[in-house]
Amino acid sequence: MIVVKDVSKQYGDFTALEDISLEFSNGLYGLLAPNGAGKTTLIKMLATLISPSSGEIQYNGENIIAMDQRYRELLGFLPQQFGFYKNYSPAQYLLYLAALKGIPKQQARLKIDELLAKVALSDVKHKKMKKFSGGMIQRVGIAQALLNDPKILILDEPTAGLDPKERARFRHLLTDLARERLVIISTHIVSDIESIANEIIMIKNKRLLYKDSVEQICDTLHNAVYETTVDFGQLDEFRKRHVLLSEKQEYGKMIVRFIHKGEKKDGWIPVQPQLEDVFLYEYQDEMIEGL
Amino acid sequence: MRIFLLECKKVILSPVLIGLFLLFTGFNFLVIFNSSDHRAELKMVNEIIDTYGREITPSSLQQFQDDIQNDLLKLQQLTGKRYDSVNDFLEDLDVEEYERYSKQEQAFLSGLQVKEMYESIASSIDENYEEIDIEKEGEVALEQYQLSGKAAETYLAENEKFTKRFDEMIRNGEHKQWFFAGKAYYMHTLLFKDLFSKMTIEILLLVILSTTFLATYEFEQRTHLVAFATQRGRRLMNNKLVASLVMAFVITGLVLGSTLGVFFLVFDYSHVWETSVSSAFNWEYNFPYVSWWDLSFAQFLLGVIGVLFVSVLLISALTFSISLFIKNSYVSFFVTAASFILLYMLPSFMPHSSNWLFVAGYTVPTLVMAIPGLFMGSSGLIFFRNFEWATICSWTAITMGVLMMTYRRFVKSDIQ
Repeated sequence: MIVVKDVSKQYGDFTALEDISLEFSNGLYGLLAPNGAGKTTLIKMLATLISPSSGEIQYNGENIIAMDQRYRELLGFLPQQFGFYKNYSPAQYLLYLAALKGIPKQQARLKIDELLAKVALSDVKHKKMKKFSGGMIQRVGIAQALLNDPKILILDEPTAGLDPKERARFRHLLTDLARERLVIISTHIVSDIESIANEIIMIKNKRLLYKDSVEQICDTLHNAVYETTVDFGQLDEFRKRHVLLSEKQEYGKMIVRFIHKGEKKDGWIPVQPQLEDVFLYEYQDEMIEGL
Repeated sequence: MRIFLLECKKVILSPVLIGLFLLFTGFNFLVIFNSSDHRAELKMVNEIIDTYGREITPSSLQQFQDDIQNDLLKLQQLTGKRYDSVNDFLEDLDVEEYERYSKQEQAFLSGLQVKEMYESIASSIDENYEEIDIEKEGEVALEQYQLSGKAAETYLAENEKFTKRFDEMIRNGEHKQWFFAGKAYYMHTLLFKDLFSKMTIEILLLVILSTTFLATYEFEQRTHLVAFATQRGRRLMNNKLVASLVMAFVITGLVLGSTLGVFFLVFDYSHVWETSVSSAFNWEYNFPYVSWWDLSFAQFLLGVIGVLFVSVLLISALTFSISLFIKNSYVSFFVTAASFILLYMLPSFMPHSSNWLFVAGYTVPTLVMAIPGLFMGSSGLIFFRNFEWATICSWTAITMGVLMMTYRRFVKSDIQ
């Protein structure tokens, strides 16, 4: 079990994370927040790449920094920007990383064949990676994270560059993996984790906002999400007064999905809140800033 | 071991490093072949050593002179006229007349000319060395380098030690051994100044490039987040350091091996390996090369190679530290090069009245750039007897300190 205890990270005057406390056991956790919210900082701390300015992260009661190699041998990690050796083939690169992970050569060869088949790269295992598409590179990244059969799998934006078919395939893979291990996926794409995560962690303003199941997080917007039909002429005014979640055009009118926490009006149909609704509601300010 | 080999492989497969190595080696071969005009004449020393022994004794010199007289008699039979020296005959000879002689006769004439040159040098050794006044040389050096105060005192004190060594060298007769005539062929300059200086710079370029390349490889390929999150973690830098040092050793060995291999194939040193490097024949400029110890040419060469290897390893380790700090190969390369130049120039910033002037010369850059004068008591401001070992020992300690400091800092630093 991983316990994050009152962890903060400061870079001079800038606070990247503040007072985060979390607990992880086996299962799949989705770390959901817009870019710049501090997800990657937390992920890098869990991968021992950066140290907390205060607080500590423990694995089974031991500080992970002090555990050093003993912790990292349990770890599989895919960073947001997965770098690779352009002149190496996936097989060569994975063999190198297998050496860094302390996997014997013969065992590594077998594992590499198995993993490249799993990520559908067997045909190109001896081709130089400089010719690979973004999706193919990302699949090599996923394979390397699984090389040492990790007990803790941390994936930072793992679906970046994958096409819809690959994403679906990847989700199935993760569901299988999470049965016996702890999987943490950091993403800003709600659909990547909504259906597969046991728990969702949301960070806002560098602090922990939620750590709960999808259903319980969605419950925070119970009786607050509605759909209604709006004339085109009234749309601008409606946008100003409500938090719009989605808009779609139908028979010359707009059907809007929105959040309203006050009294319900006639013509508004309450709908079941989705995780994306919570995401859009909680991060509306960050998204406007990001535009 | 596997990680170490995989790290070495990155250097071995680097096209830039392979290309530069081939370019440098080709250039060195060109320098050797361009300087090989006298290679046939150089063989005369081997013949002399074969016939009269390595050491020049009164009896062996007399024998040599007698044989030259016999050769002059042969010259008389050839020309029909008695000459005191073959040079007298050759002076009056134009090219057309010379061409009339057979190849064998021409070889005899040029051989005799070279023999006379060696005999002349050998006969005047005592006279030339009697004229050398080391104490006076010391006074001249004070003026030449504008030394005063403590610096002058230190210089004269060391010069006094050198005077004793010079006298000892004369007593041992180290200077009375046959070697290639310095003032005619400048072989010490060709090998230790021209070639070794070039090889040193080439080796340093290759080693600094390969070290920065290896140390910053993960950061530049953006694989650092994956690599340092593996079981090996930041200890990967230990493997990279060892790989850098081994590659530095291999690069040095390859450059030296290929260039010196060709050099000694072109120039036949087979009979002079054991000749003292302080031989009177090894006198090229104003002052003969006189080493602090009784060193043969082979020992001197091995000493120089040893110093170069150690210096290159130290520079590689220091470059690794800089790269670990900067994490960018280009910037690390230029910072290392700038530091090298700055350290080399350090004595020029020192007052000429202080001992700091000499202390500032005890640096690895000065050591590797002073190869022709290593172990010599006749090498300017770095003529100190302890220069080589003191520089190596102090810089080994400095390098280890810097390495430990940068490594500890790296281990604790955030990897972004």
